[in-house]
Amino acid sequence: MLDIDFMIEILPRVLRASLVTLEISFLSLSFSILLGLAFSMVALTSGKFVNILIRCFVEFTRGVPQLVQISIIYFALPYIGIFFDEFWTGVVALSFIGAGYTIEIFRNAVLNINKGQQEAGKILGFSNYQNLIYILYPQIIKRSLPPITNELINVVKASALLSVISVNELTKIMNDVIFEYFVVIEVLLEATIMYLLIISVLVYISRYFEKKLVI
Amino acid sequence: MVEVFPRLLPPLWVTIKVSFISLFLAFFIGLFFGSINSVFSKLNPINLVSRFYVWIVLCTPIIIQIYAAYLLLPKIGIKLDVFWVGVIALTFNSAGYQIEISRASITSIDKGQYEASKTLGMGLFTTMIYIIIPQAIKRMLPATANEASHLIKASAVLSVIALLELHKAAINLQGNSFKFIELLALQAFLYLPIVLGTSYIANFLQKKNDDKSSRIDLVK
Repeated sequence: MLDIDFMIEILPRVLRASLVTLEISFLSLSFSILLGLAFSMVALTSGKFVNILIRCFVEFTRGVPQLVQISIIYFALPYIGIFFDEFWTGVVALSFIGAGYTIEIFRNAVLNINKGQQEAGKILGFSNYQNLIYILYPQIIKRSLPPITNELINVVKASALLSVISVNELTKIMNDVIFEYFVVIEVLLEATIMYLLIISVLVYISRYFEKKLVI
Repeated sequence: MVEVFPRLLPPLWVTIKVSFISLFLAFFIGLFFGSINSVFSKLNPINLVSRFYVWIVLCTPIIIQIYAAYLLLPKIGIKLDVFWVGVIALTFNSAGYQIEISRASITSIDKGQYEASKTLGMGLFTTMIYIIIPQAIKRMLPATANEASHLIKASAVLSVIALLELHKAAINLQGNSFKFIELLALQAFLYLPIVLGTSYIANFLQKKNDDKSSRIDLVK
């Protein structure tokens, strides 16, 4: 019933596209982790006004559909004079979306640590930033790994939306192949299997690290 | 912006309609399979199938599920309006999450409740309907409200199958007027209150549940 030969024929294209999906996901996850670390540090050490700004950003990334945010970035970047190709626009969009979540992840992880640690650091003469970098952040690595895993899954799934701005990732290639050959079931099945594989393997790896990292 | 605002209201209603109909359907599907999942053993065939289903839903992007519904339904001879294709796709997606939510809330209910109702001579079915599920629904509500906000956001993806919801309508207007940034901002401000509103309802329900359970602990 299934045309296996055809599935094998398109496999190289699908694999290349999955590689692009993986690339985008890893790049944007790392950028959003960096952004999350930086902005959570700013949020934890500064006053009310900055906190309200960061809060607005977080609520915006949560409250607006990802597709709308992607198109906002897609149209807004050239508007303010920044010209990227689709791939990097996609990375920027996904990092932007992911940062909203990672800020909250890191902020909550720090707030969940016993308050005595901060006070102890202060008594030892650490500034707020030193306190965060040397005492608090090393402790939250293990704690924030499960939500980061979640975020990784979200990023891989969100990268599928980048097909609407014609980044050549898995969903876009799937769509192209469907409308080139007019074969639906095989291509959909193959794309689904690729996504299942990618996400399941990534989840398995990060569960492994969760068990390994005992602090 | 003021000029196009009224033209975005009917599509906004479509967005709300499609997400809440799907949420409603998915809630009951989730409740049904979730309770079967939590009551019977793991190797029950229904459980195996529903676990496999949940795995697929949770590990594939929603855009693929929407394409699948759009392209596969006509293949098996079901020709529906694009609105109902959207409802089916979102229900398919949301049911996966709802099964997990209801399974978690039903298993979180104390074992003593089952034993107590057994002592009162109730069968398993009566126990589930009258004792367990009403309590479980209360625990499911916060997560379900969260799911509602997810669904509203996911409904924007239905624009790829040309359902005229908020995002698609805005894209069409962009094509007519070339006011890209204004329309995007307008869209964002239409989505924000609904999505954040539902997620605040979720937080509120969660807090209410937490207060109640802590009060019971105090009485004990």
